[in-house]
Amino acid sequence: MNRDILQQAHYHYNFDRNMYVNRNTKKAFSLEFVADTPEEELAKHIDENTNSTGWTFYFNSPPSESVQRELERLLAK
Amino acid sequence: MTVRAIVHRLREEYFDLLPEVKQAVSRLETEVRCHTLSVQQRLKLPEQLIVRSRVKECESAIDTVRRKGNHGKGEGNVFDPERSSDYSISRLRDLAGVRVLAFPGRILTEVDQILHTCFPEWISDPIKDASDTPLAHKYHGKFGQGSKVFAEYQVVPMLLGLYWEVEHSARYKSVLKESVKISELNAKVESALSDFEMGIANLLPDDSDLDSGS
Repeated sequence: MNRDILQQAHYHYNFDRNMYVNRNTKKAFSLEFVADTPEEELAKHIDENTNSTGWTFYFNSPPSESVQRELERLLAK
Repeated sequence: MTVRAIVHRLREEYFDLLPEVKQAVSRLETEVRCHTLSVQQRLKLPEQLIVRSRVKECESAIDTVRRKGNHGKGEGNVFDPERSSDYSISRLRDLAGVRVLAFPGRILTEVDQILHTCFPEWISDPIKDASDTPLAHKYHGKFGQGSKVFAEYQVVPMLLGLYWEVEHSARYKSVLKESVKISELNAKVESALSDFEMGIANLLPDDSDLDSGS
């Protein structure tokens, strides 16, 4: 199951944001994205190198820049 | 507009609307009690009818606006500072809420029909389980064109309604919210309670009165 894959990859569920978050890899998967994505594809996203210093958000509807900034601010707390 | 400014604006909107919300909940509860009085007065054991009302609390309303007000783009549970005008407390359908708990099913059906006749314009939006099976009736509407707030009433099987009161407060915003195990248990409980209510309804005669046999 997708949840198991995320937990094995050290993602924790953030109840306030409804996202699976890994602060080390700076990746976050929304609950909706996890629910709608096949296991193989999810595993690919977990393993992919984002080459980014900032956060990468995996959403069904890509977040606007302002939403990304707000999420980064909240996740930095 | 910053996220903080959006929240402040929504709080202000909530308290501007609050007097009208209180009026709406009072009117809805009174009308529901009035229209179901004839049912209430001829209840026989084990039939029951309970009417409850509440005004949605401010922080709960803001949370709901954030969760549902993003037009399908609510992932991440944050307000989008660039779409501040899309968020409004007045769009919430359950600021004023009345819940009617009824037992058994035939009382529920009768009450639902009575109230539907009294509020013919109100929009039906049944509460469903994960497999899309309707569990309870839910309607929302306004008291007249000039009203700024929506009100909602639900007609709910009593055992399910009482269970939800405990279950919702235990799961909402807790670590249990995302628990698959708890979701599975919840589905089993809802199914068992529905089966029990239906079983009782099938076994009891229409004019049941447990006392009459003693």
